[in-house]
Amino acid sequence: MDIPRVETERLVLRGHTLEDFPSFAAMWADPQVTRYVGGAPLSEEDAWAKFLRVTGHWALLGHGFWAIEEKASAKRIGEAGLLSVKRDIQPSFHGVPEIGWGLLPEVHGKGYATEAGHAILRWSEERFGRVRMVCIIDPDNGPSLRVAGRLGFAPFARTAYKGDPTVILERLPL
Amino acid sequence: MIPRLETPRLILRAHAPDDFAAYAADRADARVMRFIGKGETLDAEEAFRSFLSTAGHWALMGYGNWAVEEKASAARIGNVGFADKKRPASHPAHGAPEMGWALSAPAQGKGYAREAVAAALVWARGHFGAGSRVVCVISTDNAASIRVAQNSGFRQFATATRYGLGRLVFEREL
Repeated sequence: MDIPRVETERLVLRGHTLEDFPSFAAMWADPQVTRYVGGAPLSEEDAWAKFLRVTGHWALLGHGFWAIEEKASAKRIGEAGLLSVKRDIQPSFHGVPEIGWGLLPEVHGKGYATEAGHAILRWSEERFGRVRMVCIIDPDNGPSLRVAGRLGFAPFARTAYKGDPTVILERLPL
Repeated sequence: MIPRLETPRLILRAHAPDDFAAYAADRADARVMRFIGKGETLDAEEAFRSFLSTAGHWALMGYGNWAVEEKASAARIGNVGFADKKRPASHPAHGAPEMGWALSAPAQGKGYAREAVAAALVWARGHFGAGSRVVCVISTDNAASIRVAQNSGFRQFATATRYGLGRLVFEREL
């Protein structure tokens, strides 16, 4: 699996390897992380299925989620990337790439999500051109809504996903 | 690289993105799903998650589940292979590669599962090493799969309960 490596000033975006699984599982078992994403902490078994999906997404589709490594600490501090996962959501956005991110609580508030997001948008534009993109965010997740705003996304629908209120934001082609 | 295996009537090969329609149709068919997982069918989004996991397992672990193709029709008719499911340590299947198989309803009852399992076990002996142990977990009421396991050299050694449903746990040496 050749997952491209993307560098920013403070971060490295790279493919996940098996050695990342303990950190991945710990992150997804943390209620502070799942509060706005998925809703409930994941068991090791469920985290493993998710971890496999992350790599499988790259293998089958050629894009996906990167591990985010903090250059200063050389530690995996979260993940971000592009998804095409056939979400059962209305209004439907099948075929439109979705951007997403998730960071460990201890590195929130440093601008890392915005920094990774800009790098992913640049990568995406080189690869796919400037196409419409979307993201979905819990309406109570103020920090992520602000990141999305900085990346050029604007809300266009309020809906529910798996029973939870969700905002769909979009970034339109120029 | 995902190996390609051949039997008199079948080809075992990697899943490709184009296989998703057939994969999702199986996951939406109660005749295929009644003995798998919770015994419930999957919608397209859930099926896609599982499809991505299958691809990621090969990429990360070097083994996994193949698509089973019927030579006569060149159609994908199921899957067979091995997985690390990270079952909890208390589960009798914990700690050994776990074999599984599923066939589309029209492909059941023709001896295909046994034929595919036999080819996968030959490959597994080379991959995991002669004498290593593999397991499989089958719903108590799944008489057809229990026969496949027994005819493929598996011996039942434990029982388990999952989602409130009874399971038989089998093992064999390669």
